[in-house]
Amino acid sequence: MEAPPVTVMPVTGGTINMMEYLLQGSVLDQALESLLHRLKGLCDNMESESFADHETVYLLKGQQGNPFLLRARHSLAHPAAPWHLRYLGQPEVGDKSRHALVRNCVDVAASHSLPDFLNEMGFRMDHEFVARGQIFRKGALKVVVSKLFRVLVPGNTENTEPLSLSYLVELSVLAPAGQDTMSEDMRSFAEQLKPLVHLEKIDPKRHM
Amino acid sequence: MQQREEKQLEASTESLISRVAHLKNSLHSFIFKLENEYERLTWPSVLDNFALLSGQLNTINKLLRNEKTPSFRNQVIIPLLLSPDRDEELAKLTEQRVPVFSHEIVPDHLRTKPDPEVEELEKQLSVEAARIGPDAAQKQIQTLNKLCSNLLEKLNNPRDDRETESAAVRQNKQSFNPADTTALVAAVGFGKGLAKCRPPGPVAPGQPGQGPMMTGGPTLQQVTIAGSSGQQAAIGGPVPSQQPGQPGKMQSNIKTNIKSASMQHPYR
Repeated sequence: MEAPPVTVMPVTGGTINMMEYLLQGSVLDQALESLLHRLKGLCDNMESESFADHETVYLLKGQQGNPFLLRARHSLAHPAAPWHLRYLGQPEVGDKSRHALVRNCVDVAASHSLPDFLNEMGFRMDHEFVARGQIFRKGALKVVVSKLFRVLVPGNTENTEPLSLSYLVELSVLAPAGQDTMSEDMRSFAEQLKPLVHLEKIDPKRHM
Repeated sequence: MQQREEKQLEASTESLISRVAHLKNSLHSFIFKLENEYERLTWPSVLDNFALLSGQLNTINKLLRNEKTPSFRNQVIIPLLLSPDRDEELAKLTEQRVPVFSHEIVPDHLRTKPDPEVEELEKQLSVEAARIGPDAAQKQIQTLNKLCSNLLEKLNNPRDDRETESAAVRQNKQSFNPADTTALVAAVGFGKGLAKCRPPGPVAPGQPGQGPMMTGGPTLQQVTIAGSSGQQAAIGGPVPSQQPGQPGKMQSNIKTNIKSASMQHPYR
């Protein structure tokens, strides 16, 4: 008997058809303070939020095409907060006129039974990590500066080790498809972080 | 000749009155907002109100300085009739502020000196100034001047501070490491370098659909880099060295892997 087909098409149409515009970079631990200082000056006048999140990436192998990935995230600092389920589409990086990587993005809040639910659906955990850092905002722009940690014992978020001596810096905007002016704003913002951090459009496939 | 001057005077008085009325209206609405909407009032809108007021004051100043405006200073107002009775017309004109045109209030309203309260304040200040004596005053003036010049210097020469700062940055030199960027992006993108959660089976390349698939199944990374020889290193071990795999071969392997995976699909 054939297994029922698993939809691997990205969700389109309706209000949830949002694109994520993304630029990435990193900063060494010793330069982190300068970067945070600069971000405090550049971003909206607010207290930057600290966060500690545990992200688990689930994989469902469809019949054809690429495996289907879902990212489940929950806060370690606020265990009662809802889980966050995220689907990310294939990144589009080819367009030279666009200054940022663009990918389909669906965000959903979920209850705490999300891992069990995904397991029942046939998803299997592929990998997990812990991210600790700070979030800044400037209008629609979001800047996340975070340190990634390897989880040494699966599921145990207490026992972790840092992945590298740098912090990951991500500048992102969520916008409906086709709003390419966003990438202009992002580029000018990224310019202001130079030479501390070089935020670039990085094709993850190139580094597989 | 005289008629023309009179006309000019009248016109400028009229425009002055209308501008003052505008100013009064803005002040009025601003005060109303401050008193009644202070909970919703945002700082930018307060600033907007101030900007409006200052703009209106500026136009009035410009009007008074205009060449065509006759000098109001040269005009003399003489009270012709004083009366202790209430004058309804006057009360209406002044919005109930001046109901009577009597000997008591006329000197205050038609005076060319500052208001009595202002005069009183000024008197107090001059008494204060006379009290401290010239030596102490001189000292205070000097201190204030010193403070001001120090402050000005600081404001005008931030370059020194900035230079030391940028020198410090230059000393540290690189604030980021491109290799780290790559590693981090690869890690969030598809879990490269992150410990795999599933126990790896001894995968032999080129033998898809065999034993290991039944126990573990390919992880994402295995699927994507299958075909390169880095498979055993991809799991649990250190970051696998990048192998220049042949794209054609990779493709075929992915297909087979997924097919075999669908065989043990949970829905079945």
